[in-house]
Amino acid sequence: MDFNLPGEDDPRRIKVREWFEKNPNPTYAQLAEQGWTASNWPEPWGVSADAETQFIIDEEIVRAGLELPYTINAIALNQCGQSLLTHGTEAQRQKFLPGALACEDIWCMLFSEPSGGSDLGGLRATAKRDGDHYIVNGHKIWTSVADEASVGVLVARTDPSKPKHMGLSVFLIDMNSPGVTVNPIIDMSGNKNEYNEVFLDNVKIPADALLGREGDGWRIVMEQLQTERVGMTKPGVVWGMGPTARDLMDGLIKTGRISDPLLRDDAAKVYIEGEILRLLTFRNMTNRINGTPAGFEGSAGKMMSSPHGQRMADIAKRSQGASGMIRDPDVLPLPNKKWGMFSNWDYAYWFSPANTLGVGTQEVLLNVVAERVLGLPRDSDPTAKVPFSELSGGLAKAAE
Amino acid sequence: MNFALSEDHEFLRDSAAKFVDEQVDLSPLLRPGADVSDAGYDQLWDKIVELGWSAITVPEAYGGLGMDYVDLIMIIGETGRALAPSPLFGTLAGAWAIEKAGSEAQKSDLLPKLAEGLKLALAVADETGSYDNMDSDVTAKASGDGVRLSGTKSFVVDAASADHIVVSALLDGRKDYFVIDRSAAGVEIEVLQWRDITRQVCKVVLNDVAAERLEQSSDDVWPWVRDRMYLVLAAESAAGIRMVLDDAVTYAKERIAFGRPIGAFQAIKHQLANIAGSAEGANALVQYAAWALSEDDGEGSLAAAMAQSYTSEHYKEATHRNIQVFGAIGFTWEMKNHLYYKRARCNAELLGSPASQREQVVRMLEQKAA
Repeated sequence: MDFNLPGEDDPRRIKVREWFEKNPNPTYAQLAEQGWTASNWPEPWGVSADAETQFIIDEEIVRAGLELPYTINAIALNQCGQSLLTHGTEAQRQKFLPGALACEDIWCMLFSEPSGGSDLGGLRATAKRDGDHYIVNGHKIWTSVADEASVGVLVARTDPSKPKHMGLSVFLIDMNSPGVTVNPIIDMSGNKNEYNEVFLDNVKIPADALLGREGDGWRIVMEQLQTERVGMTKPGVVWGMGPTARDLMDGLIKTGRISDPLLRDDAAKVYIEGEILRLLTFRNMTNRINGTPAGFEGSAGKMMSSPHGQRMADIAKRSQGASGMIRDPDVLPLPNKKWGMFSNWDYAYWFSPANTLGVGTQEVLLNVVAERVLGLPRDSDPTAKVPFSELSGGLAKAAE
Repeated sequence: MNFALSEDHEFLRDSAAKFVDEQVDLSPLLRPGADVSDAGYDQLWDKIVELGWSAITVPEAYGGLGMDYVDLIMIIGETGRALAPSPLFGTLAGAWAIEKAGSEAQKSDLLPKLAEGLKLALAVADETGSYDNMDSDVTAKASGDGVRLSGTKSFVVDAASADHIVVSALLDGRKDYFVIDRSAAGVEIEVLQWRDITRQVCKVVLNDVAAERLEQSSDDVWPWVRDRMYLVLAAESAAGIRMVLDDAVTYAKERIAFGRPIGAFQAIKHQLANIAGSAEGANALVQYAAWALSEDDGEGSLAAAMAQSYTSEHYKEATHRNIQVFGAIGFTWEMKNHLYYKRARCNAELLGSPASQREQVVRMLEQKAA
């Protein structure tokens, strides 16, 4: 057991740092040539970096003043891109991955629909085979960065005669195709965030855009969501990103607000929770280094980190009192501003209801943990075994 | 970075698990009217000594196994999971006090006896349960070539079983540490009706008792020993959370109501999923605290206080939920659910409340920031 992170004199770090000294202000394309934008991926895309080496490379990228590639192109580099390594064809890899790794082609994930997000298996968007093409129709929502994306990872129903989870397939679509309309959503925080709704109206996509086989969709999507949730098992305030309880405590101490007896104990509780999440990221790293199958992290980690972020943001607000109810007061300082729009407790707070909604609601995650981790009986879903086309109500109609 | 147990750790844990599963029998405690005198408190001791557990962290130079705190929690996790009644906690606490406060000669005299079965206890808290009281709950007086102690200590774990008791007492305005014989003249020990009947907790009244001063006594002794006692309780609590979770999960799969196993209802599932989260958090904090104390890297005190506050708070919650899932049968004396509930509740008070440990956490962070 050893909680020490690789130090300044680590030979792996020195090698990476030397490269940055020789190549100041590199482009992401240059980083991708080194295999550093997805360093944990196998060659030729990454460098098969173990978790510790990846940690070093990431730290050095930040040290060079660059934003991390997988925050710029999260869907491609974190959630979905690796599906091409396991399920894609060589032609798909050659077509899609170089642009993604260079952060030149931004990807988005066309999953949730207005009819349901957590019950993703009930989605209604359809893809019908028509010769060497599919014709896609549907309405997606809560699609992060769809307005910037050139590639969409779409899950759609290819076979309504099968039960809901069985007839789904995944496609890689060109977001600039005719029939794709993207409208930004203004969420309750009042900011134009990264969310959009996406209309797919008779979008014609080539048959070779299919990832894996027809009907593989549910399995591929579950793998991608699991990867996404592992990434959220971190101590940051919003889905693991942004300031942590260490930063909160730091601000409370610097402003003297920690001496408020009505705040102090709750702040300590949140601090301890944050340290737990930090330790769970270490355990996650260790499991990856040792090749141990992912254990508790993932759904369970997100189950812990999402309400933690809400409690943290709430304490930040409580420390500000009435003045915290004014837009963007920034009453409680942050030591630095490295988290983009989350570098402000105000935004973190008004955004925080989303923590327990996105990537599966908290209630669904609790079910997943109870069923998959603890082995409790599955929740009954009367729609799970019935052919999708026979379901009553609007579901079947929409799918026709 | 390596947050994983080694094969040696796992071996130690598995052999400890086998031992407690074979040896610990709580059934005498599940008869109504039972108290700690029915726990068979000293019955396992010879075997525990044989396994080396009473001297597990004692340096090899003093006849111990010289293992670190990660090794220790492999053992404590199992004794805690099984609520194994034995004077291990008191002996560990007393040994740490001697290790920190004793002179070379005193350590060479006392510590090797642990491997031969010496039992210890540590008396610090006063009659109110406070560890911070600088008043004269026990006063030391020089007398001839020795020292004599008078006064009252309470909440002393394992005092009735102990051969020697380490006592904090006021000598010339300083709080120092002294060793007394439990059987010495003037020592009166009352076993308290402590609600956790798997643990022996006593009041110790001293009336002019002959004592030996530990020569390296200082203000650093108590915080150093306390951090390790936190770790022991936290390791017990973390393992206990896992135990009561597993029991509740098993029961929720078997118990049928409204035509389904009760574990199929979200009201039950969600409670148990949340406890699975605390179990994981507790386990991570305890292992980290054990590592930090072993490394002596300056983070040990913070890690130990965090571990003790989080694990005891969540052990309370988990044991309560466990009884709720079992329903009314879990509320009977004949079921062991209440033994865990009481262990959890008592662990959250024995060394101060979780809130008091969080206060320590904040103070340490304030000091670090200053």
